[in-house]
Amino acid sequence: MLLQQDHYKKSYYETPFHSRTSELNILNEWQRWKDYTVATNYFRTDLEYFAVRNTTGVIDYTPMVKQKITGPDSAEFVNRFFTRDMNKISIGRVGYVVWCDAEGQVLDDGTVFHIRENEYWLLCVERQLDNLGISAIGFDVEIEEITDDVACLGVQGPTSCSILKAMGFEGIEHLKPFDIKHYDFQGHEIMISRTGFTGDLGYEVWMVNEIALNFWDELFEKGEIYGIKPFGLDALDLVRIEAGLLVPGEDFMVAEFAIRPGSTRSPFELGLSWLVDLSKPVFNGRQALLEEKERGSRHTFVKLNVNGNKPAHGSYLYNQSGKKIGTVTSAMFSPSAKANIAFASLHAPWKKGKDKIIAEIYYQKDLEWNRVMEEATIVTKPFYNPERKRITPAELY
Amino acid sequence: MTKLKKKVVVIGAGHNALTCASYLAKSGFEVEVHEARSEVGGMACTREFTEGYKVPGVAHLLHMLNPGIQKWLGLNKNGLEFAANRLKTISLNPNGNALVIDGDHLEGDGITDQHRAEFKSFKKKTNSLARFFRSTYQISPPRIGTDNKKDLLGLMQTGWNLRTMGNEGMTDMLRFIAINVYDLLEEYFDDDFIKGSLAIDAVLGNHLGPRTNNSVITYLHTLTGEIDGVQGAYAIPKGGMSSYTNALKNSAEKLGVRIVLDSQVERIIVDDNGKASGVKFTKGNEVGADVVVSGIDPKSTFICLVGARHLEAGFVHKINNVRMRGNASKLHLALSGLPSFNGVDEKDIGQRIVISPTMQYLEQAFDYTKYQQCSDQLPMEITIPSIHDSSLAPEGHHVLSAIVNYTPYSLKEGWDEAKPVVLENVLNTLSQFAPGIKQQILHSELLTPKDLEAEFGITGGHWHHGELTFDQFLMLRPLPGMAQYSSPIESLYICGAGAHPGGGLMGVAGRNAAVELIMKES
Repeated sequence: MLLQQDHYKKSYYETPFHSRTSELNILNEWQRWKDYTVATNYFRTDLEYFAVRNTTGVIDYTPMVKQKITGPDSAEFVNRFFTRDMNKISIGRVGYVVWCDAEGQVLDDGTVFHIRENEYWLLCVERQLDNLGISAIGFDVEIEEITDDVACLGVQGPTSCSILKAMGFEGIEHLKPFDIKHYDFQGHEIMISRTGFTGDLGYEVWMVNEIALNFWDELFEKGEIYGIKPFGLDALDLVRIEAGLLVPGEDFMVAEFAIRPGSTRSPFELGLSWLVDLSKPVFNGRQALLEEKERGSRHTFVKLNVNGNKPAHGSYLYNQSGKKIGTVTSAMFSPSAKANIAFASLHAPWKKGKDKIIAEIYYQKDLEWNRVMEEATIVTKPFYNPERKRITPAELY
Repeated sequence: MTKLKKKVVVIGAGHNALTCASYLAKSGFEVEVHEARSEVGGMACTREFTEGYKVPGVAHLLHMLNPGIQKWLGLNKNGLEFAANRLKTISLNPNGNALVIDGDHLEGDGITDQHRAEFKSFKKKTNSLARFFRSTYQISPPRIGTDNKKDLLGLMQTGWNLRTMGNEGMTDMLRFIAINVYDLLEEYFDDDFIKGSLAIDAVLGNHLGPRTNNSVITYLHTLTGEIDGVQGAYAIPKGGMSSYTNALKNSAEKLGVRIVLDSQVERIIVDDNGKASGVKFTKGNEVGADVVVSGIDPKSTFICLVGARHLEAGFVHKINNVRMRGNASKLHLALSGLPSFNGVDEKDIGQRIVISPTMQYLEQAFDYTKYQQCSDQLPMEITIPSIHDSSLAPEGHHVLSAIVNYTPYSLKEGWDEAKPVVLENVLNTLSQFAPGIKQQILHSELLTPKDLEAEFGITGGHWHHGELTFDQFLMLRPLPGMAQYSSPIESLYICGAGAHPGGGLMGVAGRNAAVELIMKES
């Protein structure tokens, strides 16, 4: 992509949707995401949240790091790079993935789009060119970062399918979760996937920058009667916790940025064993993960339902004898689950099934700090898991 | 001794591979060696480079033979004889008579008793430090950071060996491993010519200049060797270098090793459990094995034969970064008569002759290689083996074999273009010291690192299968964590010079690998 004009005068990039998002951001609250500026909040966090849950919310995902892997060896390449069996992700499908360093510690998580034969896209939080490049030695693949070349919108919520259908994307309701379909929009190919970061019915739309504004305008025009609203990163954080989705840098330390030994996590320690296929003869980190399997993991990731209504942000967790057994990584009061929920990383001496988990929660009243000790129980199912997320054809209104 | 008769396939028939094969066969393994070329020996071979003229193919002096291996495999009974032993080093002097180094004795123009005393004390010190290294060479290097008893014992043993060197020895060791040979020699000598004559030993075959750190280790490495009990001695085997490897071959065959020539391995077969289960040949056939041992360099083994897709990326990345940029070429000349060198006694012409007048000369030649260029003034190590062994050339004729240093593997203009120019420069340098030599040349050959890579299959054409510097030494060779001859692929071992303790025609890597393998696979 050509650098944006006068880019050197500002220390941030604007996404192709910026002229629209800035108009709608009446709070003027922005934050930096991989050198782009994106809205933290547009009008009110809770209302943006409810738009996603009850009608449709739109988020500008453009800064998400996107890497394209092509070439005759790409299938073999991705199968060695990621911990899961990538042969199961057929063409036109998307898969959730994690990948590890040589010590079996998670570098990042993301989604892989198997777009066509010998073409995969990896979408994630941290730039992976270096890791992908190192992994490419001996493989006939080409790796390219296309973050700046592809604009992306998340269109999420119960009415999202109806809006896209109203825009003329025929058969959109027949997309199964994690399906990909290509459409024509004003003479350009766009890609729509039934994916998202919200745990609800929703789509992600991928397009070249040139048509970004036209797409936005038409989306909001057709979406008006369906209650379309933009939502920012604060609301996104709420819906993703309800959906049980992790964020690197919050729920776990990105292995390559960690300074202290022991601060990183393996997939087993993040509750992601289902993403690790040790029966594959080789993948990055396999040797270390086999050893961990034998030795036992040091940490356990859990979802918690905490008593009371005070979110357990950053809480220390204790067992019944007052021994520290872990910390909370993400927390919120969930309006949809009507529960005080949290993610936590537990360690010894906590014993599954035997020990209680008690959260030490601090909260303020008129600047006065208060403390409560609240017991928490482990939740194994997603906090929020509506039927409409899964059913195909998707609900239309 | 093992009761299981496991089948081992050894890739390559270099001296380390043959040594390893013999030790394994002696322990009861069924061993099969496959060699791509039509003779054994790898770089320790005899090469007929033009009809009637034979030279040692790559290595031309034997100086690190391991007495244990020599005895255990009965190499003398199997045909190893020396045509010449305890060779002196003759350093050619552009301004007068050559310097003659005989053990710890110096002779030459302007050499005073003080020089001799300095040299004696220098030799004493470096020999004693080299003996410490030698003690670590004999065992599989202990891994750091494990609680394995054998590793801890190994570390303790190494620590004890260091401790018994006394305070002075320990201090010297710690200081010497960090500094460069330039500074070391500056400390001991004031004569530029002496310093130059000694410094070549530190850099020959390595991508190092005298001022490069680590160059003391490479110097000490050359002193770890011995021939018939004399530390740091040089010898020429009778019948060319192949008589050493042929003795190894004879010994191996007597022990029941099957050696298959002209049998080039295309890849190592790795099964679905990540275990090496055999090899596939370029001819298309395959052979199954319980254990595979590779005598070729680590890069070729893992990147070419195993293939990146069978290995984790972190490992491939590290192997790919093993430093092995070959720097030495081999010059072969067929001569119509015995050349004469300025300032060299005729009786000394069969000795080890070096062209390395000053450390400046070496450093300047090294500077060129940093920028992928080649100086027109290159250092050399020269032998005329036909003086000791008349079978190498027709009567009255001679062959000259020289290692020419600082001819980098990657040259900016490419070797095709540069080779005739480099050869011409090398011959010009030679004739500065041996004025009539150009008229005596009947045939010449220059094997560049590129040629060595193509002919012998060593990545980068690097003689030692990887730089012998501290970051690739002991438990760090070839990589930290895999220094015990094993690899991330189950049942695949490495036994070549790329493993501890490195190159030099010792065979120790081969033997240590065999010991490790016998322990793990029995």
